[in-house]
Amino acid sequence: MTDADVPLVRRAQGGDTLAMGALLDALGPYVGRICGAIALSGGPDAAQETLIVVFRKLRTLSEPAALHGWVRAIAVREAVRVARRDQRANPLLTELPARDDPELATDIRDVLARLSPEHRAILVLRDVEGLDEQAAAALLAVPKGTVKSRLHRARDSFRKAWTS
Amino acid sequence: MNWPDAELDNVRRLRVLASGVSGAVVSERVLPAAFDAVWSRVSDFEGAFGDFEPDMRGVRLSKVDGERLELLARSRFGFRARLHAVHRPGWFWAQSRFLLVAVAAAPEPGGGTRVAVTGGVRVPGRAALVPVGVQRAGRRSLDRLAGMVG
Repeated sequence: MTDADVPLVRRAQGGDTLAMGALLDALGPYVGRICGAIALSGGPDAAQETLIVVFRKLRTLSEPAALHGWVRAIAVREAVRVARRDQRANPLLTELPARDDPELATDIRDVLARLSPEHRAILVLRDVEGLDEQAAAALLAVPKGTVKSRLHRARDSFRKAWTS
Repeated sequence: MNWPDAELDNVRRLRVLASGVSGAVVSERVLPAAFDAVWSRVSDFEGAFGDFEPDMRGVRLSKVDGERLELLARSRFGFRARLHAVHRPGWFWAQSRFLLVAVAAAPEPGGGTRVAVTGGVRVPGRAALVPVGVQRAGRRSLDRLAGMVG
């Protein structure tokens, strides 16, 4: 989302449905990256739910330049919610894999699936979105120390898969 | 590292955009036909399209610029419409000042093609439709399209 997109947001807010379509083209891949990494197989559901909230509430966004951060917060919240729902249906392993676990070197999706949705959300916010711990903690409504400890554990478990 | 990605198919995209249009209703059905067979009918704008979309008569394609189209049509109420549209395989979204017409299709994992439609008479200046008969019109469109590809 750049300043050049501000007029597009304004047109979409004004009821131009073709501008809404163009905005969906711009936001879809971004939302898909966040939701895919956090909700995994529930990613398409989470992305759809995220964008439904975005387009239903678009008129309430008073500052179009804030769109990016607003969408990111909705995407993380919806992705964690969908991932928790899926987790109830298919419980995750409760323990993170050991560092020498050979499975860590396999498919990245398998490794992500061993983390809780909250751990995945922190990894995405810090390592994909580049947020600092303070901003990530505020977005997830958890203390900064919680972000720090979860990130440390997740990164430690991940290192081998990351560099393989 | 390649993070897992999530993609929205065209039917999901239509659900999303329709959710931002007050009064819009999405009608969906899985048709027992291949995607190409369904979409060749939908994208036959000067032919089959006007036969399954009850609000579109005498459609004429007046301009094509890549995926952007301009269509001239006459509604069943008699007034003429100049529709500006975006068309891609599996996606058609068109608006005039007073009309909205949208169709999306995606291959269904279990076989066949899922088709979603929405549209109706626009409330000028707003992302809103007059909420009268939109559900019935959607069902009728899908009935007709199903008859064409069945």
